[in-house]
Amino acid sequence: MSVAIIDYGSGNLRSAAKAFERAVGELGLNMPVQVTNKPDDLGSASHIVLPGVGAFGDCRLGLDAVTGLTAALEEDVIRGGKPFLGICVGMQLMASYGREHGDHKGLGWIPGEVIHLTPSDSALKIPHMGWNDLVFLDNHPVTKDLSDGDHAYFVHSYQFSCDNSKHCLSTVDYGEPVTAMIARDNMIGTQFHPEKSQSVGLKLIANFLKWRP
Amino acid sequence: MILFPAIDLKDGCCVRLRQGDMEQATVFSDNPAEMAKKFEDAGCEWIHVVDLNGAFEGGSVNGQAIEAILDAVNIPIQLGGGIRTLEDMKYWLDKGVARVILGTIAVKSPDLVLKVCKHYGDKIAIGIDARGGQVAVEGWAETSSMHALDLAMMFEGSGAGAIIYTDIDKDGLMEGPNIEMTEILAQSTSTPIILSGGISSIDDLYGVYELLGPLLYGAISGRAIYDGQLDPKEAVEMLKGE
Repeated sequence: MSVAIIDYGSGNLRSAAKAFERAVGELGLNMPVQVTNKPDDLGSASHIVLPGVGAFGDCRLGLDAVTGLTAALEEDVIRGGKPFLGICVGMQLMASYGREHGDHKGLGWIPGEVIHLTPSDSALKIPHMGWNDLVFLDNHPVTKDLSDGDHAYFVHSYQFSCDNSKHCLSTVDYGEPVTAMIARDNMIGTQFHPEKSQSVGLKLIANFLKWRP
Repeated sequence: MILFPAIDLKDGCCVRLRQGDMEQATVFSDNPAEMAKKFEDAGCEWIHVVDLNGAFEGGSVNGQAIEAILDAVNIPIQLGGGIRTLEDMKYWLDKGVARVILGTIAVKSPDLVLKVCKHYGDKIAIGIDARGGQVAVEGWAETSSMHALDLAMMFEGSGAGAIIYTDIDKDGLMEGPNIEMTEILAQSTSTPIILSGGISSIDDLYGVYELLGPLLYGAISGRAIYDGQLDPKEAVEMLKGE
């Protein structure tokens, strides 16, 4: 058992790796956490994590720039059924399309598009930055022990709009319901940053590590 | 991205203002040099010092406090506030200030400041303080008709070490920084950008780092540190990915 955190030149990987190492330690698991951009490492990992910050299109280009990485992801996540966690833009990349600075194709794993936040209240600033309260729409093994009102840390200007509402696992209120988590089969995604969301984040990461979809 | 902890000096004390209003000053320490040493001990790589009396009145009123800070620490100091002549600038660079911030003079005499940049290069920072996108001068008491981006572009390729962009509407209000304008500036100019104003906590700093990290040279934080919302040591470690 091991975790591969994908390094494709996007994101604060060190803090993500640290949070995973901490969760592994607290659970007493023997589960190395590897930050990697080698497609082969995905093959040997049991759990795969895709972080991501910045613009959707830049992240997609970054992913595609690593030879064989997108193909390896498809192989291990879609065909191999390995537990997959996308964080922030890493979650957004699962969409069919991203609409940030033009139209970009996503991985197309969860039908939907990534669109700009449009809070009805003009006092709400973009980006949505800071802590917000989660509202759960469904149960999921990865959100075990989490409940409505738990705080998570967000920093984003775009959100995942699911074509099929059953893929939306939780939301937060930011002048409108904003997608906080999505899930489908062996894939889960958080718009918020678990590595920055203290106890909520640690619980979620621990649940993810124990998840056997 | 580097954290620049701020020491704002008024009448020899370390204070913070709200939106630049001298009447709304909160005194945090009467020993600025000790404060500077604390920042150095916390692992900070630079300190941002502003002579508030100087900014409003011109010339240096807090000279002694500034010299005490220079004596107390080994890390570089950038100094702004009231530096409006070549003599002021040379005086402080000779005293050991690593970088002087030119704000009002950059708006009023850009040709002079361009010449200065050519000669002093990264020892000069251009201070752009804006209110609703328009550049403010004279200690923020006046708003000019110039847009922040136009001012920044005037110094493109000038050799200046940094542009320090302060959003007055956000400063000291603990409301979160102006990400949008900072991003536009950072993408438009090749001069390194330092963001100032509106970082209310370590969470805001994390957000700025996540959103703008690779684009930004640094971020200045004052009130959040003094209010205990941002621990410099924790912030430095976070920014170094430790």
